[in-house]
Amino acid sequence: MKILVVDDSKLARLSLIKTLKEHEPSAEIFEAENGLIAVELFKNENPRVVFLDLTMPVMDGYEALKLIMSIDPKAQVVVVSADIQTQAQAQVLALGAKMMVPKPINSDKMSDILNRLVF
Amino acid sequence: MVESGFSEDHLDVLKELMNIAVGNATASIADLLQTFGTMHIPQIMISDMVGLDAYIKNAIPEEKQYYITKQLFGGIFSGEFLFVICENSAINLGRHLYDVNQNPTDEDIHDAVIELTNILSATIISRLTEELNTKVQFFVPSTERIVGNSIIGQDELLNYHKIIIISTEMVFEDQQIGGKIFILTKDEMIKKLKALIDQKLEELYA
Ligand SMILES: [Mg+2]
Repeated sequence: MKILVVDDSKLARLSLIKTLKEHEPSAEIFEAENGLIAVELFKNENPRVVFLDLTMPVMDGYEALKLIMSIDPKAQVVVVSADIQTQAQAQVLALGAKMMVPKPINSDKMSDILNRLVF
Repeated sequence: MVESGFSEDHLDVLKELMNIAVGNATASIADLLQTFGTMHIPQIMISDMVGLDAYIKNAIPEEKQYYITKQLFGGIFSGEFLFVICENSAINLGRHLYDVNQNPTDEDIHDAVIELTNILSATIISRLTEELNTKVQFFVPSTERIVGNSIIGQDELLNYHKIIIISTEMVFEDQQIGGKIFILTKDEMIKKLKALIDQKLEELYA
């Protein structure tokens, strides 16, 4: 199963992938450090799940989410963000994200997330 | 590798932790203002005082008036939290918080700015130190109104040799309220901060 992890911070990607591997050891993981690279990878790899940060240089998560949803309206995007305002959450859900979870993600949170997705 | 033993990894960790901290703070302020705000990607720089001076001059236009609030924090990791808000933003903040149409009194504006800074520093610094597994104590903040961008006094400059500047911005566009945040920490604190980040990295690679 292919999973795309998008965040400009290497730390954030590393820790997310670490918790992800605890639950999905066999997942094939792709990483992107901004929205633009993420959209390209999404087109080419068609991952099952995308973990997407919002605050990123070059192209932010909102823009990337829009493009990903236009490529595949069934895409499963989990927005992982430090911005925990209700309005940010409403905005990404309106754009088609499956859910929004606050950073950082621990093992329990990851298990919740994975349970709510379709594989 | 930059000076003071901070590697790109250290800077990345600090930047991401700041991102989380500022995200929390923006949400708290959004609650206070009952509105939606945007946050900028934090910038981190290790510099000397000449560099700090140049950085601040570049970040803050000198033709305006500002309210500068400074708050010291202490613990294993200690330093100074600075919140800079231009006069117009501060007036808008006062109007919004006190729900008045005419300009609030100078005293009310001071109160509003202090309250905002308290929430900002408490959420940002507590979150940052929590992520670094340490604790912090806050001192009473003080606010002054100044013209131009000399936000650090010449006498204070002499206290620092090497300094780490963490800066970011939050904007509440509809209310036309925005401010800049600087966190300054110096000399031996930079080493302690590095040690805390090393621990964090160790956990991660373990
Ligand atoms: Mg980010």
